[in-house]
Amino acid sequence: MRVGSTELARTPFMSAKRTVYLDHSATTPVDPRVVAAMTPYLTEKFGNPSSVHMLGQEARAGVDRARREVAALIGAKPNEVVFLSGGTEANNLAIRGICEASEAHGKHIITSQIEHSSVRGICEALEKRGWEVTRLPAYDNGIVRFDDVQQSLRSDTVLVTIMLANNEIGTIQPIADIGRLIQEQRAGGRKHLWLHTDAVQAAGRISIDVDELGCDLLSLSAHKLYAPKGAGALYVRRGVRLVNQNVGGHQERDRRAGTEAVPTIVAFGAAAKIAREELEQHSAYLKKLRDAFEDGVKRVIDDVVFNGDASHRLPHLSNISFRYIEGEGLLIGLDLQGVAVSTGSACSSGTLEPSPVILALGRDDELARGSIRFSFGKDNTEQDVEYVLEVLPKVVGKLRELSPLNKALSV
Amino acid sequence: MAYSATFKDHLAKPRHAGELVDANAIAESTNPVCGDRLRMTLRVSDKRITGVGFLAYGCPPTLVCGSALSAAIEGVTVQEALNITKRDLLDLIGGLPSRKHHAAALAIETLRTAIESSCSEILP
Repeated sequence: MRVGSTELARTPFMSAKRTVYLDHSATTPVDPRVVAAMTPYLTEKFGNPSSVHMLGQEARAGVDRARREVAALIGAKPNEVVFLSGGTEANNLAIRGICEASEAHGKHIITSQIEHSSVRGICEALEKRGWEVTRLPAYDNGIVRFDDVQQSLRSDTVLVTIMLANNEIGTIQPIADIGRLIQEQRAGGRKHLWLHTDAVQAAGRISIDVDELGCDLLSLSAHKLYAPKGAGALYVRRGVRLVNQNVGGHQERDRRAGTEAVPTIVAFGAAAKIAREELEQHSAYLKKLRDAFEDGVKRVIDDVVFNGDASHRLPHLSNISFRYIEGEGLLIGLDLQGVAVSTGSACSSGTLEPSPVILALGRDDELARGSIRFSFGKDNTEQDVEYVLEVLPKVVGKLRELSPLNKALSV
Repeated sequence: MAYSATFKDHLAKPRHAGELVDANAIAESTNPVCGDRLRMTLRVSDKRITGVGFLAYGCPPTLVCGSALSAAIEGVTVQEALNITKRDLLDLIGGLPSRKHHAAALAIETLRTAIESSCSEILP
């Protein structure tokens, strides 16, 4: 705005009328049915699954039941599921484990520019140990191209690790196509070429079948599925050999030493069962909320850019860049109104660099810094969407009034 | 560390937000590391700051530092404004986490640039 010295514009924030959690890609609240399933394992069923006595065997039965449920969620066999602490550990065991087991056959990895920070970090660590990493682009729609994977395969490639769905923009990657390619290559004699996919964001939001995907390793996290933090799983296809990263115990068939976190694993199993049974219903509901939200944003706010392919993406997620403003300012402004979201802004990440995922789409620095992720959950309502559409334009408008980047519009 | 009540108040109700139409000392600075930007427009008469406006692009600490510094310099002499340090500004807003101190540095730099780059008659 351009104002005289005596009439400087002030538009106070309103006080929050409602709390709306739109950060389900960061974590989800625990489903009350999951709490009910895990509670006995915090109290009377406290045994160690490695113990031979009845209390131990009771805990073992709980873990085994959870293993069957997690396996069923992804179309795997129970003995192909390794429980561990979460998605990051699953990615570590998958990538480090397979690379260390295969390094006599080559030291080349193919990944993408839009992987979760854990996969990025593991690949960087391996590079320091002499591995070569090819990072494929995701283009302006946020999707890796099958042809790029095919053309990047080398005789010394041992691992392709590409996420099933992106955590910031929700785009779904062509893993089934890549899986067929890897299986063809293996059938043709390349016995040490493997496919890992990080399915932490996809699980419970889209249907997953490890045989349809053709992957050898697949990472899961419990707390994105309405279970508590502290449990995850790695699917390891039968016959795939990993070098274990946690040693000193025989748990998880020697793949992950350490006493199983029985209550959170039981909770993970209960959440996986609910996710499988209610998947279709929830996905359709989340898509309806998300689409209504995006239609509303297009209607009430100018100068926005939607990030990620509109059709090939998770049903619950919307990533939007707001021109002229910085994401953390918008995040805090929305937080003051009771709306919880996350941002790809540099300030927020603590790295000084804005989101590499948004930059990988070819967006400029300002759009990367002004990106906000809205991720819906099964407990959100149409009233939540209406409320966010009421407060979002006000917060955006206020920050744009303050922005020196907006001068051309404000004069 | 948590942000102070003063911080939240400035964020909710920024002081002197906007562009001063009759400014005679203007500066716009960018933090080269993180890209935050602050613009200050001052009206100085008789070596005293009689009007202030600020615009900010960046994280909340940058917005709050712009607001708090603008409030602090209205009505003071140019020399008094130049004497304000980054530490003074941090104290005014109840402190910032150390990784956000750059926001206060940017505000002080912008104020000094506005004063120093303007015509010599406003300098003390």
